[in-house]
Amino acid sequence: MTQALTILLDSLRMLRASKMFWISLWISALVALSYASIGFTDVGISLGFGMMNFQVPFIRRDTAEATEFYRLLFTDVIVRFWLGWFSLVLALISTCSIFPQFLQPGSIDLALSKPLSRARLFLLKYLGGLSFVATQTLLFCVVAFIAIGYRLDSWSWQVFWAVPVITFSFSLVFCVSALIGVLTRSMIFSLLGSLLFWAMTLVAQWSEDALYKMAYVLPEMGLKIDLASGGISEADPAQSNDLRETHRKISALVAILPKTRECTLLLKRLIVLEGPANPRTGLDLGALLSGNSDAELERLMEQYEQRHSVSYLIGTSLAFELLVLGLAIVVFQRRDY
Amino acid sequence: MSDYAVDITSLHKRYSNGTTALNHVQLQVPQGCIFGLIGPNGAGKSTLIKSLLTIIRPTLCEGTMLGKPIGHKPTLSQVGYLPEHAQFPAYLTGREVIEYAAGLSHQSRFQCRVRCDDLLEKVGMNAHAHRRISTYSKGMKQRIGLAQALIHQPQVVFLDEPTDGVDPEGRMIMKGIIASLRDEGRTVFVNSHLLSEMEQIADRVAILSQGRIVAEGSIVDLTRKKALFEVSFIGQLPVRLMTWCQEHGMEISNDRIRCHAESAVMIQPLIDQLRGALLVIREIKEQRFSLEELFLQVLADSRKNP
Repeated sequence: MTQALTILLDSLRMLRASKMFWISLWISALVALSYASIGFTDVGISLGFGMMNFQVPFIRRDTAEATEFYRLLFTDVIVRFWLGWFSLVLALISTCSIFPQFLQPGSIDLALSKPLSRARLFLLKYLGGLSFVATQTLLFCVVAFIAIGYRLDSWSWQVFWAVPVITFSFSLVFCVSALIGVLTRSMIFSLLGSLLFWAMTLVAQWSEDALYKMAYVLPEMGLKIDLASGGISEADPAQSNDLRETHRKISALVAILPKTRECTLLLKRLIVLEGPANPRTGLDLGALLSGNSDAELERLMEQYEQRHSVSYLIGTSLAFELLVLGLAIVVFQRRDY
Repeated sequence: MSDYAVDITSLHKRYSNGTTALNHVQLQVPQGCIFGLIGPNGAGKSTLIKSLLTIIRPTLCEGTMLGKPIGHKPTLSQVGYLPEHAQFPAYLTGREVIEYAAGLSHQSRFQCRVRCDDLLEKVGMNAHAHRRISTYSKGMKQRIGLAQALIHQPQVVFLDEPTDGVDPEGRMIMKGIIASLRDEGRTVFVNSHLLSEMEQIADRVAILSQGRIVAEGSIVDLTRKKALFEVSFIGQLPVRLMTWCQEHGMEISNDRIRCHAESAVMIQPLIDQLRGALLVIREIKEQRFSLEELFLQVLADSRKNP
């Protein structure tokens, strides 16, 4: 236990000394404050703690739409783009040096000469790296929790789901960074390799996503996309079957890859704010703001968003992570330093 | 428990590229002594220490350390180590480095707090303990390195080039600490290129060359084996006596005869021969090898007869 605490404390000290950590933290604070500055009036939305007011016909104080808007802003914009993208890239830049630096001669010797197994040492160091994102997200969630509680009078602890979910999403890329770091002992290779891998998984996820929409959502709406011209016409069941076959193949490929994007989007399912009951679920932020909604479309979108179960997303991603970590530990254990 | 802190029956390390770093090394390090391991660059000194500390995975390793098989991880809680060119995390202060090492050795912060102050005082780093390592000179890092190796009061301490980059005052402090460790009954295993320092502090030394131990023992015993007596005389050396000297491996130059002998007893026959030939013995001088001379001699011998 003392050893684990020592390594985790060392990780926190490393974070404290990292400029990128503070830059990321300040940006997080700005984003969180911007979120907290959004309020609701009797006629619409206010920004900048009431400095600017906008009339929005469907979103007003004490309405289900306002609650849903605030939730979607958190899950669909802030979590998805700031926590799920930019802060993860910054975290990856900050943490890609952890293993290459740790494995430098003269540095690794000290740790290996202690009564601590190599596997445990590796895993503790790995967890220390994850604390970068966990700390950032936790601080962000505290501000978001207060903001949501103050704005909607809804003290929803579900906001804190973002901490494990975002940290897990980050861990799916960080494990690749750790493996490359152990293999090459190079910070540059570790960063570029993990970014490249992340991009590859995103392309695979986007492809599966787009194919699902074309193969299932559009045909159910009686529409199809002409892949040659890009135009939309009446649905042709034969073509949708072809697309469904292609989707099945892409799905098989995506199944073995980590699902960083979809895991982040899980928050949309996990975070449900208390407040006036929202009669319309499955809306996205655009539809909510425009006020245009179609019950059938909302049903299809909800079906699309929940086409993969939580256990599938977490299970397959975790299996990938364990495989990569296992490989990294084997390499770490077999090396001479 | 064995009388040896480290008892290596056979230690062999062959890298995947075919290089043999250690060739079935046998070595015994008695408890409570300062043991010096010396050898030329690339002899395998650091590899030997790293193999004992599980940093390198030996090809074959038979033996014990503190009575447990070498590689037994829990035993390492009783072992301290200062690596050559130690690199401590730049974001830590000197005190934090020591606390980090203590934590990895199962010592709580509370346990090590008092001892940490004491060690910082001993290595002369009390005034700089709260500065970051990145602002330290090489010598200051070595002093902190020594302190972190001792924080958990280990039974055996491995020091790889401990005085590298340390100023004369720091060296004196380090030598004092090493001697006090022996006085406390701890075993200190030192790798160093500074043979004059090793001669001052080590009780026993081993010379490693090309992955083999080519000499091992107390410094007194080893240098005695290489002692040389030089006898100066007045007069003409008879041909008969000249032949006798050459038959006994002695070197003759003008009015001097050099005789390799471990003790004065062994040169008595020569004195008898000279007196029998009515030569006047002007001077008898014993020339002991320094550790450095011994080292060079042993290396030369080992290269001649690999």
